[in-house]
Amino acid sequence: MRIKNINIGIQAWFDERIGLQSITKFLRGKKVPQHKHSIWYYTGSSILLFFSISVLTGFMLVFYYKPTLEKANESIGRIMTEVPLGWIMRSIHSWSASFMIAFVFVHLISIWLTKAHRKPRELTWMSGVFLLVVSLALGFTGYLLPWDDLSVSATKVGTDIPRSIPVVGCWVTKLLRGGEDVTADTLTRFFGFHVSILPLFILILIGLHVYFIQKQGISIPLGLERKEERVKKLPFWPNFVYREMVVWLLLLGILFTLSIFFPPSLDKAADLMAPAPEGIKPEWYFLFLFQVLKVFPSKVLFINGDTLAIILMLFFGIFFFFLPLIDNRPAEKKGKIITFIAYAFIFFAIVMTVWSLM
Amino acid sequence: MMRRKLFTLTLLAIVFTFYWVDYGITQEVVPEKQKQETQVEKKTEKIIPSSKNIKEKTGIYVFLGWMWLSIFVLIYILRQKIKEVDRLFLLKFFSSEKK
Repeated sequence: MRIKNINIGIQAWFDERIGLQSITKFLRGKKVPQHKHSIWYYTGSSILLFFSISVLTGFMLVFYYKPTLEKANESIGRIMTEVPLGWIMRSIHSWSASFMIAFVFVHLISIWLTKAHRKPRELTWMSGVFLLVVSLALGFTGYLLPWDDLSVSATKVGTDIPRSIPVVGCWVTKLLRGGEDVTADTLTRFFGFHVSILPLFILILIGLHVYFIQKQGISIPLGLERKEERVKKLPFWPNFVYREMVVWLLLLGILFTLSIFFPPSLDKAADLMAPAPEGIKPEWYFLFLFQVLKVFPSKVLFINGDTLAIILMLFFGIFFFFLPLIDNRPAEKKGKIITFIAYAFIFFAIVMTVWSLM
Repeated sequence: MMRRKLFTLTLLAIVFTFYWVDYGITQEVVPEKQKQETQVEKKTEKIIPSSKNIKEKTGIYVFLGWMWLSIFVLIYILRQKIKEVDRLFLLKFFSSEKK
């Protein structure tokens, strides 16, 4: 009874200062549709969960990491061997980043397939595509930081790709590397991007994305909308949040277990003068792009193969970004063709990833 | 004459040795090389992360066990809470509260 009184007292104290009750009232008024595709709604908050874990573990890693050519690899080695439970922190950071990117992919694909990007949610989709790009950039910049043979070689290959873009290609490569080659300047540049610029961008984009969701509400799949079925709706607070908590707990358990049993190793420090090692591979989320570039013919008619591949990828990127505007009649034949493209893309990405692993 | 020559040679040897020492030529070359080799060996090692000792290893497994147990207990509690809040929602408990 006494504890309950204290609890009520604390609530009243906060309510007086920040209007706690009005927040609860607002969240209770927010409704989440319940149907057979509702499972995809949980992917959004899971991305936020993994992002928060990455930020927290990143804070711990940055206390010991030294972004210099001589110390980068050594400091990661120190984190893994000397710092108490440092190897687990690094492992959780790496795994949560991978989970985050995987969930961003799943989230976007689920929206594409359920046509949730349709009017008036175009800007929500576009901010989501930007979030995917920034998440991939975070993964790419973070991959170099251990400064081992594999990461440096993969960064050399990765930063060399934009060179094939006509007109601005060389400039982009130079901007990414901080010079002609991958050097100490690239390391400090990538570190800066990884710990300050990109997280700032991602926070702004998350804020915008959440605002758009608040403004437009959560969409229901096109099929259900056309059937004009009455969809059951649950309050966001506490009904949906409790359900989300179950998913978060399970994901946390899986994340910790994988981090403990499959931690990432650390290779020897990179030697910039040494030839590139065999079997250079980027992180798993870039494998399908990497394989496309690998199998593309070196010359198509009179155009350089790499340039053509990059141009095609850019076109696909533009199509992906403007998808809600292109897919403006989702219920008609055009919409069905675009859904088919989504399935074809998933199949293509999986085949290319498996092929590159073989 | 012989003594003079011997004296000059000894002096030259001392001066030579002095400068030799000064430029670090006489410093123990072999241990330095060995030191460099060990450093190189150290750097070429691939670090495979694992627990440092049996105490840490046991601690991690105990943590994992407790973590999964806590997760299942919390999921059970949450399921009960979900049932309760869904029932309150169906009864329109909060909307009647507003009135």
